[in-house]
Amino acid sequence: MKAYFKFELSQFIKSKKNIAIYVLLLFLACFYALNIAPSYKPIEKVDAKEIEARYLSREAFLSNFTNENRFTGMAGYGLAIYPKWNWLDKSRLDALNDNKLKQYSKFTSEWYIYSNNITYGSEHFFYSPGYYTHGNLYASEDGYYGYLYSASRYQGYAEGKSKLSINVFEERTALQTLQRLLHSYLPMILMICCVFLTVDVVLKDRLNPSLLKGFPISDWKKLIIKGAVSLIGSIGVIVPLSVGLLLIGIRYGFGDFQLPVPIYSYSGEPSYFNKGEFINITMGSYLLENFILLIFCFMFLISLVLLVSMIIKNEFANLLVAAIFIFNEIFYFKRGIGFFYEVENYPTNYVQVGQILSGYRNYIYNSSALNLGNGLTALGMGTGVLLLLIFLISKYKRYKLV
Amino acid sequence: MLELRNINVQFSGRDILKDINETFHPGEIIGLVAPNGTGKSTLMNVIMNYVKPNSGKVVVQEKLFYTSKKDEVKIHQIVSMMPDQSDLYNHLSGREHLNIYCSMWNSDPDLIDKTIADLGMESYVKKKTGTYSLGMRQRLCFAMQIVSNTPIMLMDEVMNGLDPNNVNIISNILLKKKQEGKIIIIASHLLDNLEQIADRIFLFKDGNLINAALVTNGFGKSEISTVRVKGLTNEVSEKLTNAFPRTNVLSLSNGVSLVDVSSFSVEELSQIVVFLHDNKLTDFSFGNVTLNDLYSMYYLKDATEYSNSANIQDLQEEYLRLKQELDIVKKAMTIVARK
Repeated sequence: MKAYFKFELSQFIKSKKNIAIYVLLLFLACFYALNIAPSYKPIEKVDAKEIEARYLSREAFLSNFTNENRFTGMAGYGLAIYPKWNWLDKSRLDALNDNKLKQYSKFTSEWYIYSNNITYGSEHFFYSPGYYTHGNLYASEDGYYGYLYSASRYQGYAEGKSKLSINVFEERTALQTLQRLLHSYLPMILMICCVFLTVDVVLKDRLNPSLLKGFPISDWKKLIIKGAVSLIGSIGVIVPLSVGLLLIGIRYGFGDFQLPVPIYSYSGEPSYFNKGEFINITMGSYLLENFILLIFCFMFLISLVLLVSMIIKNEFANLLVAAIFIFNEIFYFKRGIGFFYEVENYPTNYVQVGQILSGYRNYIYNSSALNLGNGLTALGMGTGVLLLLIFLISKYKRYKLV
Repeated sequence: MLELRNINVQFSGRDILKDINETFHPGEIIGLVAPNGTGKSTLMNVIMNYVKPNSGKVVVQEKLFYTSKKDEVKIHQIVSMMPDQSDLYNHLSGREHLNIYCSMWNSDPDLIDKTIADLGMESYVKKKTGTYSLGMRQRLCFAMQIVSNTPIMLMDEVMNGLDPNNVNIISNILLKKKQEGKIIIIASHLLDNLEQIADRIFLFKDGNLINAALVTNGFGKSEISTVRVKGLTNEVSEKLTNAFPRTNVLSLSNGVSLVDVSSFSVEELSQIVVFLHDNKLTDFSFGNVTLNDLYSMYYLKDATEYSNSANIQDLQEEYLRLKQELDIVKKAMTIVARK
């Protein structure tokens, strides 16, 4: 088995297609680090001028309407809510000007909680403009999530020991960029790479049949080794990606593994009235959880591709079936359906690894069950079933792998 | 030991292998001779279990059958087949190929350098096989199997693309392997070479495996049994059979006629020489029936026999009849042994 593993690994490493995938990833990682990452504009950016403008306009209002008991309606409402809001903005501004970033974090966290309390469900106040994009029917919900996420994050900064900077606040450091990417399309890109790396791992043997058919090793062991090699190769995509992160780290700092990552979770069953809350975990824990869930996704995908390779023996069929797994959720996803269906049982719902682990998927599905444990169970059981089928087929006397 | 028991293979209703029963023993080189597409490769594929026979069994070392995938792995540790040169990885070097085979069969790593030296591959073994000529690739494939060092080796067209020197080198290695007690089964079209190295040679005809030694008188014997005459006309042939009633003459498609003199005394042989000289035939030689002759008389359709004795067809039929009887006896003995 060891000899066959070495042989397969050597084949994998020397494959021109695989080298092309790694080179392409390296190029994309560098392109992202040098071109896309610098142009990142966070919705919740640190903007002293914006805070100051907001503070001054509200301060002008408050100085003109000094006796709050004399005014009712919107003016009275303004007089009631602006003093604390402005005090928080002033405190943030002062902390920022004095470069007291811990204090800035503390007041900013409070500011987000206070702002959200006033803004959510309000007809007169709005979240940051970045949430109100064209066609987004859930801008207010996104704003709610974004504000409480920021509140929790800044609370973590205030209470934590990490070295703070504007780049940390705007989540521009290398580790935070990775966190943002895991929350975005990175898991899909990694899974697509995994599929492309695995797609021919069985079928390539058809090019050298007489050389390989007589190897004294069973088809089952061959397939397991091929799967293991694909898994190692898929994990290996971290190498070219880390070059991009290195470039980002040099420019914006690397961040550290103690940085807080807010996780959205429900204390009870989710409902319209029972909103969840954010709990901070460390960046190290979050990335580790992502890694574990990604590995399980890879194992599921690899098992799926191995099985299809055995049955259909066509690379395009492999790509098609794997693509269905990766992109299937797009076709049935609707916001809130987790309240009606047990979405946690579908392995296809765990493709957006970062969103699952941050709790965002729970938020938009209105479910509390899309978590690491259920993800590992669904993907693990799915992988187990696929491996069982592979085992049974490979042991069938008349079955020929090559 | 390798035993084939009642192997039958049919493709599209056509018999490719018909009731093959044969046993090969350690220290034997077996030659398989037949035109292309007559079942040589199929037989090897059956032995490797790449092709499932419609009926019959392959028995390895008296106890292993292809009954499960586990047994297949065990058998493949014992039986190997030479890879096809078109299946080599062009981006790998010859040495890398040898390393793969050595590690897969867990054989002695020293065998790699020894085989490279024996086959004279030192100058190119580190280069990628994509740069190799046909002969170099063929030698590498042979080396790979030698490095696997299995007790039973199957080699299909092993001498393809090799110059006479390399044919000689490979033949010597095969003879050494034979001395080590290996069973080597070779399918080849280099009949002279095969005749030199093989202990037993089998011909394929209509799905049957026929021992060449039983096909005709004089094959494989170290005595003068045949006069090979070029340009023997029908008229002279008739005169010859009339003058020497105990002989028979077989005209081959390549213009050579074989005169059977297997029971002739020295005086009679002298008279034959005189006869040929009198009839102005000077291109003749004494010897025995070669594999080339056998191939011509067996597979080339226009081989015509002018004979006053039993012809080849009769011999074949007799051979098959005896073989069937032998099989029946074997089966009966097996049943008795089981009881």
